[in-house]
Parts: sequence; C-alpha cells; structure tokens
Amino acid sequence: MHFLAASIESLGAKVVGWFTVGYGMFAFLGRAGLLLLEPATWNRATFDVVVKQVYFTAVQILHVFLGYALLISWLIITIILSTARDFGLVEFASEMTIRVLVLELLPFLTALFVALRSGSAINTEVALMQVNNELDALAHCKVPPMQFEFLPRLIGGVVSVVTLAGLAGLLAMLMGYVAIYGANSAGFEPYTQTIAKIFDLKIMAGLIVKCALFGLAVTLIPVTAGLETPKKLFMVPVSVLRGMMRVFFAIVAIEGMSLALKYI
Amino acid sequence: MNKLHFKVGLFAAASLLLAAVFIVYLLHARGFFEKTFHLQLAAASADGVAPGVPVVFSGIEIGRVTSLGLNDDGGIIIRTEFLGRNAKWLKENSTFTLDKPIVGGAKIRVDSPDLKAPALPDNATMLLLTSDISKEIPALVARVQAILANVEYLTRKDGDLNTTLANARTVTGRMTGEYGMLEGVLGSPEKARALTDSLEKTRALITRLDGLAAKADQWLFAEKGVADQTRESLAQVRLMLNDAQSSLKKADATMANAVEITDNVKASTQDLVQLRAEIDDAVRKANDLVNEINKKWPFARKPEVKLP
Amino acid sequence: MDGLSDDVARVSLDLPLRANLSALDNIALIPLYQRHYSAPESTRLAHAMLEELGYAGIALLRDPDMTPAQRFVTKLARALSLKRPRLVIDRPGAMLYDVPYPAFIAQLAAKTETAGTWEIFDFSWNQALYRA
Repeated sequence: MHFLAASIESLGAKVVGWFTVGYGMFAFLGRAGLLLLEPATWNRATFDVVVKQVYFTAVQILHVFLGYALLISWLIITIILSTARDFGLVEFASEMTIRVLVLELLPFLTALFVALRSGSAINTEVALMQVNNELDALAHCKVPPMQFEFLPRLIGGVVSVVTLAGLAGLLAMLMGYVAIYGANSAGFEPYTQTIAKIFDLKIMAGLIVKCALFGLAVTLIPVTAGLETPKKLFMVPVSVLRGMMRVFFAIVAIEGMSLALKYI
Repeated sequence: MNKLHFKVGLFAAASLLLAAVFIVYLLHARGFFEKTFHLQLAAASADGVAPGVPVVFSGIEIGRVTSLGLNDDGGIIIRTEFLGRNAKWLKENSTFTLDKPIVGGAKIRVDSPDLKAPALPDNATMLLLTSDISKEIPALVARVQAILANVEYLTRKDGDLNTTLANARTVTGRMTGEYGMLEGVLGSPEKARALTDSLEKTRALITRLDGLAAKADQWLFAEKGVADQTRESLAQVRLMLNDAQSSLKKADATMANAVEITDNVKASTQDLVQLRAEIDDAVRKANDLVNEINKKWPFARKPEVKLP
Repeated sequence: MDGLSDDVARVSLDLPLRANLSALDNIALIPLYQRHYSAPESTRLAHAMLEELGYAGIALLRDPDMTPAQRFVTKLARALSLKRPRLVIDRPGAMLYDVPYPAFIAQLAAKTETAGTWEIFDFSWNQALYRA
C-alpha cells in the first residue's frame, strides 16, 4: 500500500514537473512573441545580435553542413534509385527521393545538426550566465535580457534552420536530378512535373512551418532549460543534459506530428 | 566593413536569391503563369479514378483529374486539368484510356496518333476507354468473323442444319408428351429439352446482339466519339454483328419449323444431337464475345438483356 | 540590496560583466538598450567613458582577459553609464585585490565628473585603509 502511494506520488511529481517545464517554455515563448510585436524591439541593436546569431548558427557551419547534406543525399538517392531499378519502379524514384529527402529527412537532420551545435552551446551559455549572476547584473542595469540575449537567438535559430534545410533541399533536388537523368537537360520536363506535383501550397507551407518549429525548438528549449539552472556550477552539465533531451523529444514530436498531418 | 556582417549578408542574399528562383520555378512548374486547359472525359465506370489521378502522354504526366461527377443521363464525367503548354498534345483524334497497372496507381493514358491533327478545344468532352479497345479491335473482328463463319456454316443452304431438318421432315409418327413432336424425334424428354434450351439460348443471344448493335450505333454516331480508324473498325464489327444476328434469326426460324415436322424420327436422331452441340458451341462463343464487348464498351454499364 | 537599486548604481562582485562581450560592448549596452541610442552612438559614448577613466586601451578585452583592476574599471564605467544619483561600490577589496584600492578608487573618482555621490561599503576591519 505504501509502495503504491509512493509510486503514485512520484508519478504526480513527474507530471507536475512536465507541466511546469511546458508552461515555462510556452510562457517564455509568449513573452518573446509579445516583444516581437513591440516596435521598440525592431532596432539596429537587436538586428545586429540577430545577424551575429545567424552567423554562428548558419554561416559559420555552412560548408560543413552542405558537405554533410551532400553525402547523406547522395547515399539516400543511390539507395532509392538502385532499389527502384531492382523492382522496376524507376518512374517513382524522383518523387520518392524528393519526398524522403527534401520533405522529411533533411529538415530533420538539419534540426539535429543545429541542435547539437548551437542548441547545446546556447544551453550551456545561458546556464553559465544564470550561475554567474550575469543575468542579475543585466537586470540591475535594466538591460532586458530577452531582447538582447534570447529573442535574437530564437530568431537566429528559426532563420538558420529554415535556410539550411532549404539549401540542403535544393542541393538534394539537384543531386537527384543528376543521379536520375544525368548531367543533361533531357529530364527537365518530367522532373519539373514531379516537383510541381509534390510542392503544392499546403506542402510548401507545411515544410516552412515545420522548419520554423524545428528552429524554435532547438533554441527555445535550451534557453529555458538554461534559465532553470540552480545557481551552482556543477548543475550546468545537468541543465545541458536535460535541455538536450527535451530538444530531441521535441524534434521527434514535431516530425511525427507533421507526418501524421501529411499522411493520415 | 565588418567581415561577419559581410558573410551573413552574402549568405542571406544567396539564400533569398535561391529561394526566389525556386519559387518562380515552382510557380512556372505548377502553371501559375499560363492558362489551364480543361477536358471532360465520359467514362463507363469511375472504378480506380479519383481526383489526382495523372493523365500521361508518352509516359510523362501532362495533367490530372480534378473531380468526378455524373451527367444528366447518369453517365460518369471525369474532369481533368492540363497546363496550357501541355494542351498541344491533345488532338481531336486522341484516345484516352484508363490504365490500371498491377503495381502503381491508375492513370489515364493519352494517345495522339497524328500530332498534325487539329487541337482539341478547351472544355471538350472525350470518351474514356477502360482499356485500349483500338488495339484489340483486330482480334475482336477475327473472332466475330469466326463465329459468323460458324453460324453461316450451320445455316447455309446445304449446311448441317438444313440437311438435318430435311432429314427431320421425313420423320413420321405420333407426337405425345410435354415436348410434343421433338420428344418423338429425339426419343426422350431429356434430348428434346436439350434442343429447346439451345433454341432459347439462341433467341437470348439474338436479343443481346440487338442491344449491342444499338449501342454501337450510339457510340459510332456520337459526336467526336472515337478516332476515325477506330470508327471504321467498329463499323465493320457492327456489320458483322448484323450478319450474325440475321444468320441466327434464320437458324431460329428453321429450328422453329422443325416443331411442325412430323416424320420418321429414329433415323435423324444422331444428326439432331450433333446439330445441337454445334449450335450450343456457336451460341456460347457469341455470348462470350458479347460479354467481352459489353465489358469494354463505353456506356454499357449494365448489359441490358431482356429475355424474350 | 536590490530593493534600493532604482536610484543606485552598484559596482559589485555579484554583478559580473557579460563574459562573451568586450569591455566596450558591456558599457555600450546601457545607452543602447536603456536609452535607445543607435549602435555607433552607444559605442562612442562607451569609448568616451573609458577614456575619461584613462582605460581606453582595454576596450576590446573580454572579462577573462582582464586584470582585476581593469575589470573593476569596466564595471565602474558601466555603473557610471547608468547615470543614477547614487553609486555604491560594494566590498571593493573583493574585486581589487591586486592594487591598493582606496587610493585607486580615489584616483578614478578624481577623473570623472559625476553629479551623484559615491558610497563605498566595505568591511569594518578595512576602515583603517581609507584613513591613509
């Protein structure tokens, strides 16, 4: 009996914990969104920090990322093409390639890439800021950390994931064309038809929204996880660990939701 | 100038440029810059057709089905949409065939044998064939011919039927029982029933051929119904069907005469059994043919068989 | 302590600099976000402030690269930028352990022209140091 009560209690504590985390996250998002609506936010200084964030999240890793996207795309395209040829389904290969790579795999991998690189860095930095009292110092100076530190990170994350996923998608489409039709213009018409068939307004909007949500997840969750850190230096790794776990679950949840909306 | 800002600017500019190019390309691909071309397909059955089913020409998708509906006569109307640039493949003599491959989804195949033919106007209505009837017409013609020959063989002046019936005329004797004279002729009620069954079947076939001929007319003379050479082939089939019909009618009449014959029975029994087998065979083949034609024929959703 | 902070600018060990920003940027934050100056104007003001204190050379250094004295000067410059009537230096001995700090602070105070008052809170056992 005692054991049962204890386990129910621990379950309740967990649920309350999840709700607290979720509430904190969405409340933070709400504050960030409200701040976006204020004209005072849209000044040169915020823009400069956003530019800096985009530089660190997207531009700095562009060559590595594109190389990685090229490799993954090439592998997947080769697998799809050879399987399609084995089963005599080559006419479906281009559609399959685009659907698998451009719509699903590359945005997902982009989100993971940015999460691993920038998300973890953001989580650590915010946790350290919190532990070192830097946020208190900013508060004392009446410098709003949301506008100056967090909002630019969120915007930078969204912009970066959308752009990187888009670039990787374009690259994959180009590679798919070359792999299927070779380096000539003979396949342009049918390939265009396939692309036209796949990318209707709903799919395009869904893709952009999904990438934006990915971008938000890989920055918002680390920031809130960092802010939750108790003021003890040894809690920083714990904070990063928790934050990154949440990021991972969020990415999988977003991907699952988008698949469910698209195919069910 | 700030190197970081320059790099980000370059990145943003390149990304925006690529995005803009892709959006323009996509709009072009989806036909945003051109007129859409509409075509309606009249079909016997909407089985396997749904909005989104592609219309392909030479294996390349040129349009798709937008909606399905019924017309005032209960026929199925499939509305399709094409990009303006693809409309040039649709000619007045194009045929539209519904393909249902074993693997993959259904698609509507367009065949334009003569690309110099006049183009189809927008919103035209064409027939959708369930499978490629134009390629099967030669086989169909051959089969009709074979059956016709069979029927003719049976009914020609010195043919089996007449000989047999001539023999039958010599049959004499009192006719009693349910099957009247025939029982006498054949010696047993079973054998007599077999022959009357054959007659029934022949009559039923004649009715069906009648209906088929009417449908052939409807199809042949429907405006822009089918391509020219297909029309010729079908006209040929139509004539053959008429022939078969008249021959069978003749056979029917001759057989009916047999009922009135009273003569020596036993001698001709063998002949009549053989005759019955031959007529049955011809009727079966003709029935198969009619079934098949009915299956492929547009607008023949229900075989309209009315027993006499 | 923060309860009295609306008219007090504090220089304290508890209020560190933003570690990944240079001294100049740390100071420029104040005019930039509090008084909504433009970025170049804020930078210019921050630079002027450092020059006034005689430490223009540390403008591009970040917190970990500074000596305690340089760090203190940056914090002081940031507090002065707030332009609040009272300036409180909280336990300077904890921040300025590499210089004779009462003299150092007096020296800095002499260089600036501020309207407000400077107050130093220190441990009582350090009182002797200020008498010199």
